[in-house]
Amino acid sequence: MNPQLLAPAVSYSTQVLVIGSGAGGATTACLLAEAGFDVLIAEEGPWVEQDTVVPFSLEQMDRQYRAGGVTVALGLPSIAYTEGRCAGGGTEVNSGLYFRPPIDVIERWRRDYRIDGLDLDELALIADQVEAAINVTTVPGSPTPASEVLRRGAAALGWKHSEIPRWMTYPPGGDAVTGRRQSMTRTYLPRAAAAGARMVTDCRVDRLVREGTASIRAQVSYASGLRGEIRCQFAFVCGGAIQTPALLQRSGLRRHIGRSLAVHPTVKLAARFRDEVNIPDDVPVHQVKEFAPNLSFGGSASHPGLVALALSDHWSEFASAIEDWRKISVYYAAITSEGRGNVIAVPGLRDPIVTYRLTPRDRALLRSGMARLALLLLEAGATDVYPSFRGAPLIRHRDQLSTLNQQFAVSKASLMTVHLCSTVPLGEDRSRCGADSFGRVHDAGGIIVNDASLLPDAPGVNPQATVMAFAIRNVRHFIDTNGPSGG
Amino acid sequence: MRSVPSSSLVGPFADRLLALDLPGLHPARRREAIDFTTRRVDSLPSLMRFGVMSIAAIFRALLVLPRSDTLVKFLARTALPLLGEYVRLLRSLGYAYIWETWPDTRPDGSQPDDAEPGGTQPGGRAA
Ligand SMILES: Cc1cc2nc3c(=O)[nH]c(=O)nc-3n(C[C@H](O)[C@H](O)[C@H](O)COP(=O)(O)OP(=O)(O)OC[C@H]3O[C@@H](n4cnc5c(N)ncnc54)[C@H](O)[C@@H]3O)c2cc1C
Repeated sequence: MNPQLLAPAVSYSTQVLVIGSGAGGATTACLLAEAGFDVLIAEEGPWVEQDTVVPFSLEQMDRQYRAGGVTVALGLPSIAYTEGRCAGGGTEVNSGLYFRPPIDVIERWRRDYRIDGLDLDELALIADQVEAAINVTTVPGSPTPASEVLRRGAAALGWKHSEIPRWMTYPPGGDAVTGRRQSMTRTYLPRAAAAGARMVTDCRVDRLVREGTASIRAQVSYASGLRGEIRCQFAFVCGGAIQTPALLQRSGLRRHIGRSLAVHPTVKLAARFRDEVNIPDDVPVHQVKEFAPNLSFGGSASHPGLVALALSDHWSEFASAIEDWRKISVYYAAITSEGRGNVIAVPGLRDPIVTYRLTPRDRALLRSGMARLALLLLEAGATDVYPSFRGAPLIRHRDQLSTLNQQFAVSKASLMTVHLCSTVPLGEDRSRCGADSFGRVHDAGGIIVNDASLLPDAPGVNPQATVMAFAIRNVRHFIDTNGPSGG
Repeated sequence: MRSVPSSSLVGPFADRLLALDLPGLHPARRREAIDFTTRRVDSLPSLMRFGVMSIAAIFRALLVLPRSDTLVKFLARTALPLLGEYVRLLRSLGYAYIWETWPDTRPDGSQPDDAEPGGTQPGGRAA
């Protein structure tokens, strides 16, 4: 059952307002509604049925990404990032690669940030439940050729690698490319609706105003231009790691909010093979983890447009390859970064300013990531490797890798990231945490954060499962302490 | 600068850049790619759009100088921090649109002999 979408209105009221309907918001709304709370979800983007848009296409970017996917964290160099902006948030547009919450990393967070009541067994149980709810599974039959490339290259080098399961369902007899992504619009949002949650889309929460101790007024604007307000007792802010701190800052909450953005920066390259490898509407499911958590390798979406983009940094040399785009696929090296960034809401500007600063160690890792990724692909049988940085050399043999190493500079590369975290870290360490151990914003009664912003650091693996596990843990705690009647 | 449409500031340089990079691209397709590019620039986050439009205004002004073709050639290759980023942004958007919409486009922008110039091809993907 899809949620019944409410029409824009000047005024709504609800017991709990959930702002954003991505990995954090959808799970939050679902569990609250199932526990008997009166829930209204406000989502800035539209509801887009999965089958009506080609995955990883420019059309998808227009309809389901913020700013058409063209958003940048300023720095030297700047890092392009993308955010989903639609019902289901990032879960609608992402690659669907599932990593269980990394227990060793979370144990470190618990210690360093003094997160109270963080029970690792409870998180593992939640992960089991999430895996069942979104149907985490490996591909039936053989992986796609572009994925097989990663497996083959890693195996030849003796590097650790594996197929990453995804939240997908496959029809009987289906193969690797017939999966349907079990995003939030197919899982937790219909469940929330079945339990009575209401939803309003194309509705941006501009500001939260606390009125007394038990009431919050959310000022909203609709895509149509209409402005209104939603009154509630509790507001769960789940707008993602960029928009959540921006909204809190617009609402006058700034302490340790938006100061510690953490991401997994990536460099990329395109590799050409003798045979066709490109599956435009899907991504490879293998990842190479020999150097994890510092460095991981995987495959990206490779529409011909994205192949052209990967070649465009040295078009004068690489252009001729585009005619062979069916034999080309795009791959990335991602790092766990020690750098940090800021999200700053500036009065009068609709969108926040985002910055990110890489450390010298990050730069060194990106450089070695580029060279090792090129090596991996040569071992997998690539005839030509086209690194994505200005003036990059074409690589055909192992002995050219030292040239690649010499010529690479992070400042020349097209860096990007799709994993954004840590702008409102949770914990009791008040010298750096924006929220308490369960996401309650310090000194802001009734305003709770429950999305990727809470993770104290980028986890070193695909983050959605960790975001969901924390969100579910926090909302269960909320239900236990507040009860559906709003105690 | 929210009220200034990017087509007037970004469009002319994007047109010269794509014409230089992809001389075989049919003008109708170039126009379509530029429409896409300027639409995207219009939806950029506030500050980024302001930055892009400021640089675009400088580039636009430079285009009226004599020997602007040489200048466009220089700018197309520039690696200067902000100016280079601007060129990279326009190129990225333009190329992504062209090859996603008409995947069989040749490296110089021309089409294989059997393809019709202009408009979206049946085998292509409307973006
Ligand atoms: C292209 C891409 C590929 C990815 N691939 C993977 C992957 O394979 N595996 C993985 O684990 N992770 C992946 N991720 C990351 C994953 O999608 C995110 O970690 C996850 O979605 C974060 O959840 P969230 O709830 O914090 O935010 P989101 O899922 O981004 O949801 C936030 C929602 O809030 C809405 N919103 C924001 N501000 C407001 C406001 N003021 N008012 C109303 N609504 C608002 C937004 O429109 C959005 O829908 C990928 C992300 C992207 C973009």
